[in-house]
Amino acid sequence: MSTVDTQLSKHSCEKIDALIAKFPADRKKSALLGALNVVQHENQGFLTEALMDAVADYLQLAKIEVYEVASFYSMYELKPVARHNVAICTNICCMLMGSQTIVDHVEKKLGIKLGESTADGRIYLKIEEECLAACTGGPMMQVDHVYHENLTAEKVDEILDGLE
Amino acid sequence: MMKKIAHLIKSFMLWELLKGLAVTLRYLFSRKLTVQYPEERAPMSPRFRGLHAQRRYANGEERCIACKLCEAVCPALAITIDVAERADGSRRTTRYDIDLFKCIYCGFCEEACPVDAIVETHIYEYHFEEKGTQIMTKDKLLAIGDKYETEIAANKAADAKYR
Amino acid sequence: MTEELVTITVDGQELKAPKGAMLISVTDKENIRVPRFCYHEKLSVAANCRMCLVEVEKAPKPLPACATPIMEGMVVHTRSAKAKAAQKAIMEFLLINHPLDCPICDQGGECELQDMAMAYGQDVSQYSEGKRVVLDKSIGPLIATELTRCIHCTRCVRFGEEIAGVREMGMTNRGERARIATFMNQAVTSELSGNVIDLCPVGALTAKPSRFAARAWEMIQHASVAPHDCVGSNVFVHVLRHDVIRVVPRDNEAINEVWISDRDRFSYEGIHSEERLTTPMVKHNGEWKRTDWDTAMGVVSDKIKAMLEDDAIGVDKIAALVSPNSTLEELYLAQKLMRSMGSGNIDHRLRQSDFSDQNSVPVMPWLGQDIEDLENLNAALLIGSNVRKDQPMISHRLRKAVVNNGAQISFINPRTYEFNFPVASNISVAQQRLVNELALIAAAAYKASKNAMAPHLKNILTGLKPTVEHKAIISQLKTAEKSTVLMGNLASMHPNSSVLRALAEAIAIETGSVLGYLSEGANAAGAWLAGAVPHRGVAGESENIVQGYHAGEINNQSPAAVILLNVEPELDSVHAMKNTLAQADMVVAITAFDSPTLRETANVLLPAATFTETSGTFVNIEGAWQSFKGVCPPQGDARPAWKILRVLANLLDQKDFDYMSSEDVRNELRSQCESIVLSNTTVADASIEMNPAGDELMRSGDVPMYAGDALLRRATSLQKTSDADTFCLRVNSAEAARLGVMGSDSVSVTQEGLSALMNLVIDNSVPDGSAWIPMAIKGNEQLGNAFAAIKVEKV
Repeated sequence: MSTVDTQLSKHSCEKIDALIAKFPADRKKSALLGALNVVQHENQGFLTEALMDAVADYLQLAKIEVYEVASFYSMYELKPVARHNVAICTNICCMLMGSQTIVDHVEKKLGIKLGESTADGRIYLKIEEECLAACTGGPMMQVDHVYHENLTAEKVDEILDGLE
Repeated sequence: MMKKIAHLIKSFMLWELLKGLAVTLRYLFSRKLTVQYPEERAPMSPRFRGLHAQRRYANGEERCIACKLCEAVCPALAITIDVAERADGSRRTTRYDIDLFKCIYCGFCEEACPVDAIVETHIYEYHFEEKGTQIMTKDKLLAIGDKYETEIAANKAADAKYR
Repeated sequence: MTEELVTITVDGQELKAPKGAMLISVTDKENIRVPRFCYHEKLSVAANCRMCLVEVEKAPKPLPACATPIMEGMVVHTRSAKAKAAQKAIMEFLLINHPLDCPICDQGGECELQDMAMAYGQDVSQYSEGKRVVLDKSIGPLIATELTRCIHCTRCVRFGEEIAGVREMGMTNRGERARIATFMNQAVTSELSGNVIDLCPVGALTAKPSRFAARAWEMIQHASVAPHDCVGSNVFVHVLRHDVIRVVPRDNEAINEVWISDRDRFSYEGIHSEERLTTPMVKHNGEWKRTDWDTAMGVVSDKIKAMLEDDAIGVDKIAALVSPNSTLEELYLAQKLMRSMGSGNIDHRLRQSDFSDQNSVPVMPWLGQDIEDLENLNAALLIGSNVRKDQPMISHRLRKAVVNNGAQISFINPRTYEFNFPVASNISVAQQRLVNELALIAAAAYKASKNAMAPHLKNILTGLKPTVEHKAIISQLKTAEKSTVLMGNLASMHPNSSVLRALAEAIAIETGSVLGYLSEGANAAGAWLAGAVPHRGVAGESENIVQGYHAGEINNQSPAAVILLNVEPELDSVHAMKNTLAQADMVVAITAFDSPTLRETANVLLPAATFTETSGTFVNIEGAWQSFKGVCPPQGDARPAWKILRVLANLLDQKDFDYMSSEDVRNELRSQCESIVLSNTTVADASIEMNPAGDELMRSGDVPMYAGDALLRRATSLQKTSDADTFCLRVNSAEAARLGVMGSDSVSVTQEGLSALMNLVIDNSVPDGSAWIPMAIKGNEQLGNAFAAIKVEKV
């Protein structure tokens, strides 16, 4: 695979190659989700047009196919976002457990709305995060791939203040 | 036999004539129905279907969107429309002709219009002196619409609750 | 193969159908109407509109008919209360976000959603919330978008993936924000893209050139045949008050299925071109004057009569150059007129430069098989063919062969073309080396078959050492159950086409493949049958006919009178004809379009009808005679060319030109063609000579997709697409380095004493030794023959 001339870093390529190897040779498309994860992680948490093109070329897919997937899933960001990705679950279980008060609290604390980044480029609040399958611990949120459960305003303050 | 005699007497006494004159006499004293046109005018329904007009919105934009439904519904094939995209991308007529010699004033065009653009007004006193002037062009129709908009709007409003 | 049949009951009716078939395909066959939006018989099943929900007994919920395979004993109700309720509910959902703009929608009147809403919708909407609005994106000059109307059936997306072979449109985002889009709003570039207009069940994708031009109900539909490629796609021409509004496909499974190319769909725009010639014109003392038919025809007939009587000129100084896009009737009358005057100087092969094997070629260029058969191929070799752009419908069949059968299709071309299917090998070498490359494949064929080389090929094949790639192509052809070798447009234009043909034939014989031809224009096959070639008469008759000079020779013979039929000499010919025509006493151009070059070179211009304005016949590449009628009156004083030729023949006192209709002409020709048995087996020439390939930079080129004929060159929307080429020089980066030029430089190209300025484009699809200048587009008149050594200098 390394023969392909690509914008992707060597590290990304290695990781994507490992993903491709998990699927049959003619089903490279299966590695797309993982590949986008890898690439987004390396690019400060968001995807650019050029990166999506590079992934498309690497996996021999049409550009629009990659864009379809990237725009479909909420875990991909297509615009520059702040360093830390904070996603508060607002799906039904968490909502019943009071996720709205958490959202209100965080919005007030940071002075931004869901879907916006703080001016200092520190925190990005994800909009409309769907169920992250931690219903037992609702309300919950995910901060940079780490789950925080049974949130209270104080607990959230602590977590957010701890972010660089 | 008796019938024949009665008939004979009736004929000689000009009975039929008297019967007729009695009708005349009755009408001589009854209320007059004749309208002295043009000094007097008959009352008119808001649904009266006279000369056509094209309307505009309050902001001056013509209503017609060139959907050609009036052209399609016209039973006399009196309407001819050409369409083109205007510079702002909207769909507009470049020609909207109604041939008033063909038109039978059925009002279907008005019924079909989804935007109340083509209407039939109260105007019924008009004539043509030259060949070709019976074609109502878009400009003429819009001019009529502009002139009588208040009246048209009032008629539409009066009729609205029955639609 | 026999399929297992099962019995199902639909609405109380017992049906037998193959097991596993989708329910909707079975009901469609039986004319039981199930509503649908996303299902299309030529596309894969998506089952995302849910409109085709029907009740199946023992199933807990209504099932989508398009994605329900039938099983033995299935009992289906398409109109039960349950099914109807489901359909009605789906309809309501689909209408939630659909705007109520039917009056300004071009689809209004032929809209599937409108029809279904009438049949299954409710009268009153319960929905009072805000509707979704999608901003429109421009996706090119051919397709207008109104994406707020989209119901997300994804037919267009599936079309791109499955039929066009290029995934350009997709559905981005999700849920309420889902929308159809191209990647970053790029234009759709597929040569079949116009078909999404027909596929779109609503007015989200409509035709841009005919935007707002007419409503569906007021147009009159006429059957016709597309006039641009040798496939002869069946079309309907939609006419409003004598004007062609649009062209749409007419289903014909044997030829174009349900598709047509954008070229066939949008070329009609040329009919309304401002360059249309609407009155006869005569040049008098260098001044062009509009005149009437009598005067113009009088001028022509007087002049030609005088020439016929003048012993010093002689009849062999009269020539006719005809376009392979002319109808069969026109071509037949043109050759009949020429031969009855005593001249055989007629040719339609204006883009051919090698005529050395013309006596041994088949009666007409024939595909060697039916178009439908192409999709059953297992292997194919295409020689000199950009089939995707030249014959998109053939390319579509080949794509089906690749996708469905895994066919191995190889190309050998003078430029690396892109195809819409995976290609086994895509060899590209400079035009001048094409023969050598094909010879290597032929040598591999003989090696594999272990047969003795055909004697006429011995001197060019001996000692060749084919590579692995050449051998692979041969083994693919040889092992395939069904294989074919096809000669494309570029092969017949090639300066050594006779050698290419001999080699192709040898390869076909040695690998057991079918040899076939793809020809240029809509009616090249018809031109051969009609005898519009100098050495053969009607139906390939070569004895007892008046022989004449071919297109190349006519150009060198300085003819005194030339009749041009639908030909723009500077663009439709690979030969530089301007000087020849300028020197002729009398040049009559029967043409639909006026052009500066015609004004410069001709003496009389006679306005002819375009394909929608004349009746006629095209013979396609599989030998099908397809007749069509004129669907609207010719513009201005223009007349069908067959009538012009018939009257001209009358004025010239020629016998047997008393035709009353084009059908008379066709029937006369048809009766002479009845005995023809199509075959591509030919008598090989005794010796094949190969012109040695030099080392100098050679000019070569192809006819861009939208430049093939006069009508296309005036189709304004097509000229705005990316397939419309510009006059420029393309070389690859290595060649550019050798020449010392850089991309986007302005360069001077010198060829045989002529020179022209043009822009340089670095394009690595052009092989070494090749300087690519597209033919048939403006600028070509500055240079000479299409294939020659050229010099490139930076200016």
